[in-house]
Amino acid sequence: MLNQIFMTVAVVGGINTLLAILLVTAERYLANYGEKTITINGDRKLTVVGGQSLLASLKSDKIFLPSACGGRGTCAYCKCQVESGAGPLLPTEAPLLTRDEIAGNVRLACQVKVKEDLQISIPEELFNIKAFQAQVAALDDLTHDIKLLRLKLSEPKTIVFKAGQYIQLQSQPYPGVKEEVSRAYSIASSCQEMDCIDLMIRRVPEGLCTTWVHDHLKVGDKVHFTGPMGDFYLKEGTGPLVMVAGGSGMAPIVSLLHDLHDKNDPRSTAYLFGAQTGRDLFYSDEMRTFEQKLPDFEFIPTLSRPQPEDEWTGKTGLITVSLAEHLASINTSRAQAYMCGSPGMIKACIAVLNENGISSDRIFYDPFS
Amino acid sequence: MKQTPQEMKIHRQFEPGTLSKSGFLGDDSRHIHDIVADDERLLSELGLSLDVVADALQALVNAGKNGLGDPVIVNGLEVTVQWDRGMGPCPFGEPGLYPKMTVSVKRLDDGSSMQFSQLSVHLIRKHGFFGGKGSVYRIEIEKLLAWGIV
Repeated sequence: MLNQIFMTVAVVGGINTLLAILLVTAERYLANYGEKTITINGDRKLTVVGGQSLLASLKSDKIFLPSACGGRGTCAYCKCQVESGAGPLLPTEAPLLTRDEIAGNVRLACQVKVKEDLQISIPEELFNIKAFQAQVAALDDLTHDIKLLRLKLSEPKTIVFKAGQYIQLQSQPYPGVKEEVSRAYSIASSCQEMDCIDLMIRRVPEGLCTTWVHDHLKVGDKVHFTGPMGDFYLKEGTGPLVMVAGGSGMAPIVSLLHDLHDKNDPRSTAYLFGAQTGRDLFYSDEMRTFEQKLPDFEFIPTLSRPQPEDEWTGKTGLITVSLAEHLASINTSRAQAYMCGSPGMIKACIAVLNENGISSDRIFYDPFS
Repeated sequence: MKQTPQEMKIHRQFEPGTLSKSGFLGDDSRHIHDIVADDERLLSELGLSLDVVADALQALVNAGKNGLGDPVIVNGLEVTVQWDRGMGPCPFGEPGLYPKMTVSVKRLDDGSSMQFSQLSVHLIRKHGFFGGKGSVYRIEIEKLLAWGIV
């Protein structure tokens, strides 16, 4: 009797699995949606073969929406407004959208299939995002857990970006990891140097992409990335600049410092770099060079737990304390602040900045989230 | 046990190299359902609930965050929160993304330590999943008791 029940459950389960596989296969290979038109921002029209995801369809026409999960519907970076033709919201999308986004017809481009003509809206700056092939020109240790990755562009041979923006680096499969993943890294080099980019990549525990960079990537290897992306860049102004970042958060700050130099920007600038011990300090020589090159620049490293062997004579304590001390020494009425780091660090620093006269409309940041 | 396509998809998310380098199962050969059931049974025997454990771990996360990357002392434990760039999804396909955050907890008296992530708190609270035996972020319930965390 028990055997019959198990047998029946197994047979029914097997049939269900088979039917599901058949449906997915039929949907993928047999359904013919013909050519469809995607109208972007009311004027630009793309003709695509129906049946693919909106993300893949746009990518085939070299329009790259941000995406970190390879279209699995988990990162929610590929949100875009779909005004018509997308059909009902899918269960795979709803959890990753806010009520306002749902009301505003925001969808996940990786989940929306192009089965009808679509009308979509995407920010104009996304048209500047390109796919690049590059070669690893250098891969050097900056600290025990941060590497400097220098990429020489192969195709296209140059990139136009704003200092402070980021790219999405695509990892390759390696032993134990079968799929490619994309991860965002800020560019650390000058936007005048258009044939190369520098990235500062910290090893993330259990990280798929950073493990690839740290343990498997070699000088001479070919890599792929898309970019540039992001709206973290220098804003116009006349007041002093206060920059705060620790660890690999230094990357966009270095690019901003290059930008100040390239544009002969005379603004007084301080960069407060937070680290725990001497072994977490890096790029000190480059910062001293910026102190020589820029008209009014000060690099202020702060160690929270200096060790005896560090023989540290600089500032100690949390970065928020150094920040408060620095703000007390400058006129903050027109100052701007630029930060890159964890949401926790940024939240703590925003409170200090606000308390010292820098309102939130003059605070710009690139949170790790 | 026969698995639906949805269950097979979920199982793949727990394997090494899909959402994290070494996955969520470690060297545990049990089915995810059995891992959850065994831990829930132990939890019940000890008179604990998932919310009590998740709340206690979240309290450590919150205290550790105040250190901005430096250790914070909480009831004889040194808690360090390392926050990395990016967000990660729940392997069960639950809504939302979770910060890539490693929470290291070290006993001050004997130096022994454990690690978990912000995602671990969600996995325990919503799914009763403490990690497979031998996995990087496996949380042993008896250890939480012995260390006075719950």
